[in-house]
Amino acid sequence: MASSASMPTTAARQGQTERADTLALRNARLAPGETVIVRIARAGGAGGATEQQEFKVPYQKWMRVLDALNWIAENAATDLAYRWYCGSKMCGTCAVRMNGREVLACWEAVEPEMTIEPLRNLPVVRDLVVDRSPYEKKVASFEPWLRRSETYPGFPEPLSHKQMKNASKALDCISCMCCYSACPVIRLGDFTDFAGPAPLVQLGQTALDPRNDQRRVAVALAQTGIFNCVSCYKCEEVCPAGIPIVSQVIEPLKAKAAVLVPAMAHHALALRAIVAARGRVDPGALVLRVQGLGALSRLRRILRLLVRGKISPLRTLLALKTAAAAPARRILGRVPP
Amino acid sequence: MKFAYYPGCSARSTCAELNVATHRVAAKLGLELVQLESATCTGARELRAIDPAAFYALNVRILALAEREGLPLMTICNTCTLNVLDAHAAFVSDRDLAASVNARLAEEGLQYSGRTKISHFLWVLHEDIGEQRLRRLVTNPLTGLSVAAFYGCHITRPPGRYGFVDSRNNTALETIARILGCLPIEYSGRTECCGFHTAAADEGVAIKLTGQHILAAKTGGAQTMVTPCPLCHTVLDGFQREIEDDLEQKLDMPVLHLPQLVGLALGLTPDELNIDRHMIPAEVVSAYAAGPS
Repeated sequence: MASSASMPTTAARQGQTERADTLALRNARLAPGETVIVRIARAGGAGGATEQQEFKVPYQKWMRVLDALNWIAENAATDLAYRWYCGSKMCGTCAVRMNGREVLACWEAVEPEMTIEPLRNLPVVRDLVVDRSPYEKKVASFEPWLRRSETYPGFPEPLSHKQMKNASKALDCISCMCCYSACPVIRLGDFTDFAGPAPLVQLGQTALDPRNDQRRVAVALAQTGIFNCVSCYKCEEVCPAGIPIVSQVIEPLKAKAAVLVPAMAHHALALRAIVAARGRVDPGALVLRVQGLGALSRLRRILRLLVRGKISPLRTLLALKTAAAAPARRILGRVPP
Repeated sequence: MKFAYYPGCSARSTCAELNVATHRVAAKLGLELVQLESATCTGARELRAIDPAAFYALNVRILALAEREGLPLMTICNTCTLNVLDAHAAFVSDRDLAASVNARLAEEGLQYSGRTKISHFLWVLHEDIGEQRLRRLVTNPLTGLSVAAFYGCHITRPPGRYGFVDSRNNTALETIARILGCLPIEYSGRTECCGFHTAAADEGVAIKLTGQHILAAKTGGAQTMVTPCPLCHTVLDGFQREIEDDLEQKLDMPVLHLPQLVGLALGLTPDELNIDRHMIPAEVVSAYAAGPS
C-alpha cells in the first residue's frame, strides 16, 4: 500500500504559504512587558448600539485571549461582560471572534493587535456574551436522546468502533458555537430552514448511533433543512474540538436522510441518476429534473445561456451519452443508493 | 511536463470556455495534457453524501486511469480536486475499501495502487512551472489590472486536507496575479463560499451569498474577478444578473477563469481564450490583451 506522502497535507506543498500566524509563531512574536492592543466590541444588548473600546494590555508569556480579557476586567473595565468557566477547552462557553475568526478565548494565543467581537448569528446579551437559547431550543426539538427500537441486549453491547465512528466524533462537541457563528447559511437568518452545524452535530450524537430508533431519527432529520448546507467547511475550520463536521457528521446525516426521508434528498438522487445514465452531469438535465418545468419560468436566463452557448437543449433532450457513460453505469447501476 | 488531465463536467458543458483556455494555456506553458475521456463525474457534493461506496469507486477509477498512463493528474475544478484527494486518502488508509474498489475496477482491467499525484492547475503553476519560469513566460504583463481573487472553498478547506490555520491565509492566487502584472485587491470575499452546491435545488442561497462577495470586490476597486473553480464561476458570472436583481444594483463584474487570466499575460487573445463566452462581458479585461503583432 502506497503512503499518502505525495498528497498535500500542508499548505506549503502548494506554494500557498501562511502569513506566519501559527500559534507557535504568534507566541514568539511578543516578549513579556510588550503591549497588546485589544479592541472590544461593546454593546448594551437588545438593540443597543455597539461601540469599540480600545485597551492596552501588558503581555505576559503564553498569554491567551482569555488572560487579556481577565486583565481588562480587573484593571480597565470592571463592567466588561464575557463568559468563561473551565479555562481549558472543555466547557465551550468562552468562544469569541478574534480578528474575524471564531476562537476559544481560553485556548488562543493573543495577537499584537486584536479586535474581539461576540459570536455572530446569535443575539448579543451584552458585550461578548451571546444568547444561546436559539441553539438550545433547536437541539431540544430534535429530542436528542437514544430510544431503542429493539430490546437491550445486555452488557457489553455488540457495538463496533466502525459502527460508532461518526457518532463518536460528534460526541467530541463542546457546544461552543464557533461553527454556528462561522456558518454563512445561518448568517442568512430565516432565508432557509437550515438548522446549522452545531445543532446537527448534537443530532449526530444520537442519530448516527445504530441503536437509535430510525423512525425518530427520520422525524428529527425532517426538520433540519440539512440539504441547505453548502459544504463550505467553514465550520470544520473553526471547530476547536477538531470535529470533521461536514464529512463525518453532516454527510452521514444526509445519507440517512436520503434513505429515511428521500424527498429531502431529491436533488442529490437526481444528480446520481443523471451521472448513472450519462457519465457526466448535464446541468440542463439536472435543473429540469430537480426544479421541474418551473425551471422554464426563468426565460430570460435561459435565453442568455443559449446566446452564449452555455447550455445545449439538444444534448439535454436527446440525453446524449458520453464516453464516461458505460463505466458510470457499471459502477452506479449496481450500487443501491 | 505531461499530465493526465481531468476537466470535470462543468468545463465540458456550462464552462466549456475553461476547457478551451486550459488547452491553449497548457500549450504556451509547455504542458502536455492527456485528456481522460472515459473519466466520469466525481459525484460533486451529492454522491459522496448519499452513496459513499459509489463515490469512492468513481474517484479511484479516475486516479487509476491516470496511474495507467503513468502520469500525475491535473484538475481544474475545486470540488473535483477535493473529491479525488479525499478518495485517495480513504483508499490508502482503509485496506478493506481499497480491496473492494479495486475488485470493482478489475471488471474493466483497471487497478489503483495509490501512486497518482493529484494537482490542480493553480498548484501546477506554483510547483511544476514555478514562479521564475512563469515570470519569464509573461510576454504581455497585465500591468495595473486590479483583480479580486476568488478562491472558493474546496481548494483551501477543510483544514485537515490543506493545513491552513485560517484559510484566508492562502495567497496562491494573488501571487500568480502579481507575476502576471495584476494588482490583487484585499476584500472580504476571497475565501468565502459561492453557494453553488445548493443551487440546482434552489438558487436563493447562492444568490444571497455571492452577491455580498461581488459587491465587496467592486467596492474594493476590482476591475475583474478571477477564480480557479468553474462552479464558483457559474455563480459569480452565470447568476450575476439575478444577483443584480436581488441587490437592486448593477454590478457588471467580469469573472475570469484562472487559465484565461494567465493566457492573456502569455500573449493569447481574448478570442483564443473564449473570453466572450461569459455572461458578463469582459471588455475591460480584453483591453489588456496583447495587440496584433
